[in-house]
Order: sequence, then structure tokens, then C-alpha cells
Amino acid sequence: MSMLEIWLGILQGFRVTALVTLYGLVFAIPFGLIFGVAQYLTTGPARFVVTSVIEFWRSSAVIILLFVFYYALPLAGLALSAMTVSAMVLGLNIGGYASQAVRAGLQALDRGQKEAGHALGLSRATILLRIELPQALVAMSPTFINQLIQLVKATSLVSLVTLTDMTFRAKEISQIEYDPVPIYSSLLLAYFIVCYPVALFGRWVERRINPAREARRAV
Amino acid sequence: MTQTDDKPAVQITSLNKWYGAFHVLKEVNLTIPSGSRFVICGPSGSGKSTLIRCLNGLEAYQQGTVTLGTIRLGDNARETALARRQTGMVFQSFNLFPHLTVLSNCTLALRRVPSMPRKEAESLARHFLEKVRIPEQADKYPAQLSGGQQQRVAIARALCMNPRLMLFDEPTSALDPEMVKEVLDVMTGLAHDGMTMICVTHEMGFAREVADQVVFMDQGSIVEQASPSAFFATPNHPRARSFLNTLLH
Amino acid sequence: MQFDVAFALSTVPTILGAIGMTLLVAAVSCVGASAIGFGLELIRRSGGLGGLFVRFLIDFIRATPVLVWLYCLYFILPFYGIRLGALATGMIGLSLYYSGYLAEVFKAGIDAIPNGQAEAARALGIGRMDITIFVIAPQMLRNIAAPMGNYFVSILKATPYLAVLAVPEMLGRAFDIASETYRYAEPLTVAGLIFLGLALLISHAIKRLEIRLLGPTAR
Ligand SMILES: Nc1ncnc2c1ncn2[C@@H]1O[C@H](COP(=O)(O)OP(=O)(O)OP(=O)(O)O)[C@@H](O)[C@H]1O
Ligand SMILES: [Mg+2]
Repeated sequence: MSMLEIWLGILQGFRVTALVTLYGLVFAIPFGLIFGVAQYLTTGPARFVVTSVIEFWRSSAVIILLFVFYYALPLAGLALSAMTVSAMVLGLNIGGYASQAVRAGLQALDRGQKEAGHALGLSRATILLRIELPQALVAMSPTFINQLIQLVKATSLVSLVTLTDMTFRAKEISQIEYDPVPIYSSLLLAYFIVCYPVALFGRWVERRINPAREARRAV
Repeated sequence: MTQTDDKPAVQITSLNKWYGAFHVLKEVNLTIPSGSRFVICGPSGSGKSTLIRCLNGLEAYQQGTVTLGTIRLGDNARETALARRQTGMVFQSFNLFPHLTVLSNCTLALRRVPSMPRKEAESLARHFLEKVRIPEQADKYPAQLSGGQQQRVAIARALCMNPRLMLFDEPTSALDPEMVKEVLDVMTGLAHDGMTMICVTHEMGFAREVADQVVFMDQGSIVEQASPSAFFATPNHPRARSFLNTLLH
Repeated sequence: MQFDVAFALSTVPTILGAIGMTLLVAAVSCVGASAIGFGLELIRRSGGLGGLFVRFLIDFIRATPVLVWLYCLYFILPFYGIRLGALATGMIGLSLYYSGYLAEVFKAGIDAIPNGQAEAARALGIGRMDITIFVIAPQMLRNIAAPMGNYFVSILKATPYLAVLAVPEMLGRAFDIASETYRYAEPLTVAGLIFLGLALLISHAIKRLEIRLLGPTAR
């Protein structure tokens, strides 16, 4: 099999890889924002509940979560497509990590920011939405970009629940013809080509938002 | 070491150093006799730190020679390492090892470099901690000490290696004023014991009392060298004059 | 079909029986990843061509999925006549993969040590090797304890990937039961819960250990 055929084969799986990533973000972004803010604002039993939900999604092994939801949801009468289950599980797992970044970003802000908002007579919601969140999200944006890369890489798992993503296609091709070296190294390279520009973008963002830290490192 | 007293402790000839295109040290010549005390002063950025860091191999230089006793740095790797070991250095920021106790800070090099047995190394270290007047702090960690105490540990740590030459780079300028004296007292004691010392410092009281020679640097060159009494009474160079004025006022 | 709690409970002993394998894989991979990661970081710091290669290798690892690395080793090594078995291949794969992450952790830990530390040691005449072992490494360990603990938990959560290579760890056992009984939901859910408990337990233990080890010596 020629290199071109291998690459065309893997490319056929790119659509699914991209779709799972996008749908995953549809779950990850709201979850990370809502639960991160909730963990920041709540105390006592409410905080315990919020933290438990986050920990469930974050601390479970994502490969097992995927299988459990894929096989167990139908028993609960929920017949979701493999695509939906995958996007939900991968998205909420990354969302769990993102929520921790959101909370840490909010907590790291100078208390004076909130106090200045109060002193101006702004409501708590306005302070959160207009003062705290924008700063926290910008400060944590390199972390979010890293988590996006984690999500893209995790989509390779959907090949285990019959979705024909890049990894699935590579396995299919290698069953047609036993030629593992070019096939699997092409697959690695394909993920690298997708993820590496994102990583470079993340570094650029990090330098942009924190020139002082860079300068200090250069000394 | 095969050092005789007629050989100067340090002989610097035509030393030149560049950072890229920036000429930090320009034709520096300096002879420091054995047993003498030199104070180097000068405005910020004049190259004082760079000069004394060249004396123990922390900085490389492009031209000129540095001779410590009979050993010319860079001629022979083994001898250079020996000369470096016999040169103690005290930094502005102490640079104690935070994960080691005061005693272990002092014994680490003894145990690793000459492979001295633990008992012997510790008793030597305690001797020098006594000398800098903090024997009771031996088992604490650096972070539990005041700045003045930390700097005295750093001096004891350097003395443990039995140096023939001690370099000080602004040893008191990171200290609160009330702690400066305890460190200077230790340094004065060392001077009275006959240690060869090169001190970058702006403590002019110390220079007046202890130094044999004051060296004034500006923009990478030595522009004036004189005894303290001559230097403080009538600085020749206009820049030295204005520097002294800013220090005094 | 309904979720059968009694059946689920009956699978617990079998699945738990494989916890030893899971812990073995995790422990070996943690040690391997740390050792390789530290080596990579030392090479990267020494610069030159080797340093450049390692820098690229680390970026490459971080931009590619662990599952694909496991496939690569599992299918490509035998092609060159290297037959290590699934278990060894899996542990090598996890070690290599996570070494890329740990190298970054070591880098941050070393960068945080002020330059003066190595300079002071050099001024005392201590040799390069001894400086690394007695001055840099202990301070680095203090800086990296927390992120390293996080990656150890990540490695634990990555051990079920080895089920894909038919290593009999807990997820593999759960699949064995599933394919014998044609019931997937129960054994997978049990495996998921055990993993969640294990991950929470170990990350808690690591945090306690950190406090025990690093707490008392003031910095
Ligand atoms: N690593 C370096 N790379 C480039 N330039 C440097 C470097 N280190 C020092 N310099 C420059 O060399 C000059 C001399 O520095 P040096 O530290 O020797 O000055 P100094 O006299 O000790 O000043 P200070 O009183 O501030 O300690 C300064 O202009 C400094 O900016
Ligand atoms: Mg200086």
C-alpha cells in the first residue's frame, strides 16, 4: 500500500475526530464555566455536591467512563448514539479539568478587584461577569488551550466504540494489509499535525499575556 | 600549594571581557599581595561583580590572564580546579542551600570534594560556626535564620574549605541595617587573622578601617587605586569624587 | 435488560483480583516515566544536537495520543522482531509517553531554583555531578512534588489502556466477564467505580505524603 493511500485512508477519519472534538467542546465549555464558578462561589454542603460532580468526571479513568456510558446508558433507557456518548464523556472529563482552571483563576485574582467592584456599588453578578471572569479566563487561557489538546488526543478512544475516527481508520487499513510501520507512524504524525499548531498557539498566548514572566525567565 | 609569600595572591593582567558586543571589562590590571585586603567600589554596572567572578571561574573571559598564587587559570584543568577550591566566595544573596541544615551547608563540600569523614567534617564546620559566632544554629535550616545570620553561615561555609583567598560580592547590601555590623565584624576578624580578601562593598567605614587599598571602577575599567586615607581625602578622578559624594549624602 | 445489582456485586471479587496487576503497571510506569523524564530533561539542558532532538521528542509526545503510542509499540516492535509481550510493551509505552510530561515538570522544578545555588556550589569546588545530586535534585523534588503526584495519578488512570493490548488488569478482567456473560454494563460499572475509588484514594495519599515530607522543613 502506498504512503498516499495510507494518508488518504487516515484522512477519511479526520471528520469524525474533528466532530467529536467540537461536540466535546459543547459539553466541556459550559460544564467548566458553570462548575468552576459554582465551586468558587459556594460553601458548605452545596460546595461538597459541586466538588463531587467535578471529581466524578475528572478523577475517573476516561476510557472506562466511555465504556460504562456506552454500555450502561441503554439499560437506563437512554439510547444515545456513539457520537453523543463519546462527546459527552470526553467533553465532561475535560470540562472537569477546565472547571479547576476556572476556579483557580478566580481564586488567584487580587481580592482588591472584588472589593473595588463592591465599593462602586456593582452587584455580585456584575462583578463576577464583568470584572472577575474576564481576567481569570484570560489568565488561564494557556491552560484551556492545553486542555483542548488533551481533548483532541482523547478522541482516539472513540475508535473503541466503533466510531470511524483517524485511529479507527488506521486499524482498518492495517487489517487490509499488514504494514504496521508506515500506517501507525503516519497516524502518530497525523495527530501531531493537528495538535502541534495548537500547542504553538498556546505558547504564543502565554508569552502575550505574561511578558513579565517571560522577561524574568530570560534574565 | 607551592605558594611563596613573595608571589602575589592574585595577579590580573590585561583582562578583557565582552558580553556579546558589550565590553564589560577593559584592560584590567591588578596585583593583590598575599595577606592584603582590597576593597572594590564603583557605580552600579561598572563591572565589579564581573571582575571578582572572573577570579574563581564563575565567568569566562576572552583576553588576559588571571594568576592565583602560582596557578594561571585555564592553563591546566586540575590546577585550575585546585585554585578555585582554595578561593572562597560570599554572595550578596547568601545562596545557602535551603534544603540542608546550617551544619550540612558547611560540610557538603568537605564531604564531597576532599571526601572527609563525617565526624571530622562536622567538627571542622562547628569550629568555623563558632568563629562566625553562631555555633548554636548548626541544626537549623537557613530559612529559620535572620539575613545576618545566613550571611555569617555563608562565610563559615566558605572558610571550611580552608581558602587562601576570600572574595566578597556586596555581602551586606541585602541586609537590614541593624544586621550589617554583625557581618562586617566577622569580616574584620578575618582580616585581622591575615586572610587575603577582595571585597566589593560600599561600606566605606569598613574600607577605611580594614582595607589596604581601595580600587575604584567605572565603566569596566579601574580608574583609581589608592590607600583608603588617600582615596577618601583626595580622590583624583572626577568620577570617583562624584561617586563618593553620592555615597556620603 | 436491566442493570442487575446482584450480578454486578458478584463480579467484584474477580475484578478486584486484578488490582495487583493494575498497581504493578502503575508503579513500574511511574518509576520508568520519572527516570526517563529526568534523563530527557538533563539531555535537553545540555543543549547541542541531542538537546534539540529531545526538545522535539517531548513536543511530539505531548501532541500525540497515548493510545496511538501503545498501538505503535505493540504492532511495530514485533515487525522488527522485538517480542516483549503485551505487559512489557504496555509499561514501556506508558513510561515513554509520560516521560515527556515529567520532563516538563522537572524543567519547571529546575528553572525555579535560583542560579546562585549552582554558583555557590561551584565556588565551593563541588563537581558537576555532585551539584546535580546534592544541590539541584533535592530542591527540585521539593518544587515538583505536587505536579509529579498529579501525573502519577494520571498514569494510574491510564493503566486501563493496557486492556486494549489484552493485559489482564482490572478493565481487561471486566471485559473477560462481559464477553463470557454477554453483560457489559455491570462489570464495566464495577471496574469504573473501583478505579474512581482508587484514584481518589491515591491522590489523597500522595497529598498527605507531600505534607508529611515537605511540611515541617521551613523554606
Ligand atoms: N550575563 C550577562 N549578559 C549581558 N550583560 C551582563 C551580564 N551580566 C552583567 N552584564 C552587564 O555587565 C555590566 C557589569 O555588570 P556587573 O554585575 O559586573 O556590575 P556591578 O558593578 O557588579 O554592578 P552592581 O553594583 O549593580 O552589582 C552591567 O552593565 C550588566 O548589565
Ligand atoms: Mg554587582
